[in-house]
Amino acid sequence: MRIAVLGPFLALIAACLFFATQSDRFLTGENLSLVLQQAVVVGIIAIGQTLVILTAGIDLSCGMVMALGGIIMSKFAVDFGLTAPIAMAAGISVAALFGLTNGLLVTTVKLPPFIVTLGTMNIAFAITQLYSHSQTVTDLPLWMTALGDTFSLAGTKVAWGTLLMLALYGLTWFVLSETAAGRHVYAVGNNPEAARLVGIPTRKVLLGVYALAGVFYGFASLLSVGRTGVGDPNAGQTENLDAITAVVLGGTSLFGGRGVVIGSLIGTLVVGVFRNGLTLMGVSSIYQVLVTGILVILAVTADQLSRKGAR
Amino acid sequence: MNVPTVHPVPDVPAVPVVLQAKNLVKRYGHVTALDGMDFELRADEVLAVIGDNGAGKSTLIKALAIVPDAGEIRLDGRLVRFGSPIEARLAGVECCYQDLAVAPAMTVAENLFLGRELRRAGFLGRCLRMLDRQKMIDVAGARMADLQVGIHSMTQTVETLSGGQRQCVAVARAAAFARHVVILDEPTAALGVKEGNMVLELIRRVRDKGLPVVLISHNMPHVFEIADRIHVARLGRRAAVLNPKKLSMSDAVAVMTGATAPENIPAEWQA
Ligand SMILES: Nc1ncnc2c1ncn2[C@@H]1O[C@H](COP(=O)(O)OP(=O)(O)OP(=O)(O)O)[C@@H](O)[C@H]1O
Ligand SMILES: [Mg+2]
Repeated sequence: MRIAVLGPFLALIAACLFFATQSDRFLTGENLSLVLQQAVVVGIIAIGQTLVILTAGIDLSCGMVMALGGIIMSKFAVDFGLTAPIAMAAGISVAALFGLTNGLLVTTVKLPPFIVTLGTMNIAFAITQLYSHSQTVTDLPLWMTALGDTFSLAGTKVAWGTLLMLALYGLTWFVLSETAAGRHVYAVGNNPEAARLVGIPTRKVLLGVYALAGVFYGFASLLSVGRTGVGDPNAGQTENLDAITAVVLGGTSLFGGRGVVIGSLIGTLVVGVFRNGLTLMGVSSIYQVLVTGILVILAVTADQLSRKGAR
Repeated sequence: MNVPTVHPVPDVPAVPVVLQAKNLVKRYGHVTALDGMDFELRADEVLAVIGDNGAGKSTLIKALAIVPDAGEIRLDGRLVRFGSPIEARLAGVECCYQDLAVAPAMTVAENLFLGRELRRAGFLGRCLRMLDRQKMIDVAGARMADLQVGIHSMTQTVETLSGGQRQCVAVARAAAFARHVVILDEPTAALGVKEGNMVLELIRRVRDKGLPVVLISHNMPHVFEIADRIHVARLGRRAAVLNPKKLSMSDAVAVMTGATAPENIPAEWQA
């Protein structure tokens, strides 16, 4: 398992070294803390995405569901005057409901995850735009943006959201590697028929995974809103592919059943370092999109080749 | 071995019947895979099940461990209805299914305990639901050593094993935990001579431990080497039950293919 994240870790080091040679500002504490803060949203989406990909699925709706959750919680708070915790819970619930819908379509109608989530991605996007009239929601209650606040640790600023992300990674790691439910997620991704025949309730596992992924996207909306301080209907557009890239870069196989969630954290940092470093180098955001596209294809190629090697 | 107690089967033969099925029916859409199949497994025997491709052998096994469309199944004379493979396993019936039912990227120990993982004692296990990895590795190692399967590292992933060793893991998983009946679907298919013999040896050891074994196989020499009786499946029904000591392999094949009609089977061939 330690070997599994070695590759992604080396990629992270290499990326850091490269950008350190390109910009003096890259290795400053201030900048690294910024990278970490920016990585938080993608990082939490990537947890949900990891669960789905471990079952040999894919969730293309992740970023859009995250955006919808953010709009729901900010509109609910501003329009209906709901207190922040209730509005936040509403946003997370809607995201979870989307995840559950994905899961139901995959398990009961037996549609391919790719198509299901392509559909729900567009549905979530459309609802976000319609409900917000494509307007940014401002004047959020203080509580709602608290996770974006920072505190000082050894001179560097750390956001509360970063702590939440690390806690969620720790929790997910524990469940995936130390409990039967977690091992069943791997078994379903490895060989669904074998899992079914040994009596693992494969549909329940899948349903749980997709719904839980939705919950993670909901937490990500919380952090997105907290970091930007507004409900942004155009959030989630880069995060969608970034999260998938992060998971694959982190060594989780798109074929299912292989990978560790900590890898996705490293993958998230790789993606974050690339975006940050390219920005410092003055590369325009279009090129960043280009680089992310190339990164994801490289990562999938590595996955494919290593899988062939293992056979 | 438990002797039937509750609701004894009406015509109890000299040897107790462990697993019995009557009139099993299983359909897949328009295909009738089982068309009134009967089945009887006695204590302490290796019962081979032979039949052409598509005769319904694998379906029979799945129907025994998972609810059939119709028909009744008795375990030790008691009417049972397993809603899922896990219920069959809880009753002590272990199956090794035809299509290598292992999770390749998981370790040998994890595969052995798939679906019946051991949890830690106390708070960690009860409240945090934490698995007891070490215990699973130890028990897996002990069971595999017991069965003399030549796999020593329980923390190796199954995909790093050879095809024969993988098959052994799948067979051992069934054999290691069975308390009542072991059902093996084509466990020697795709194995070399040495590995095939290894699995046969394993089956013998399981029977000698007092567990009856159902062995589905296309390999006639294997069947004749190890089986006490041969159940011939044909077109979703039981064509005959043969005694391998009283007939030749070609006789058995003739029954299997229908060249010898059921009514023409000599009485001394039957078991
Ligand atoms: N999951 C399924 N869906 C549809 N049809 C099936 C399914 N499983 C089995 N069948 C059909 O049921 C019939 C019996 O199949 P079964 O697998 O029991 O045969 P078998 O005797 O085990 O054959 P083989 O020797 O090839 O393993 C076949 O006609 C097959 O096409
Ligand atoms: Mg078969």
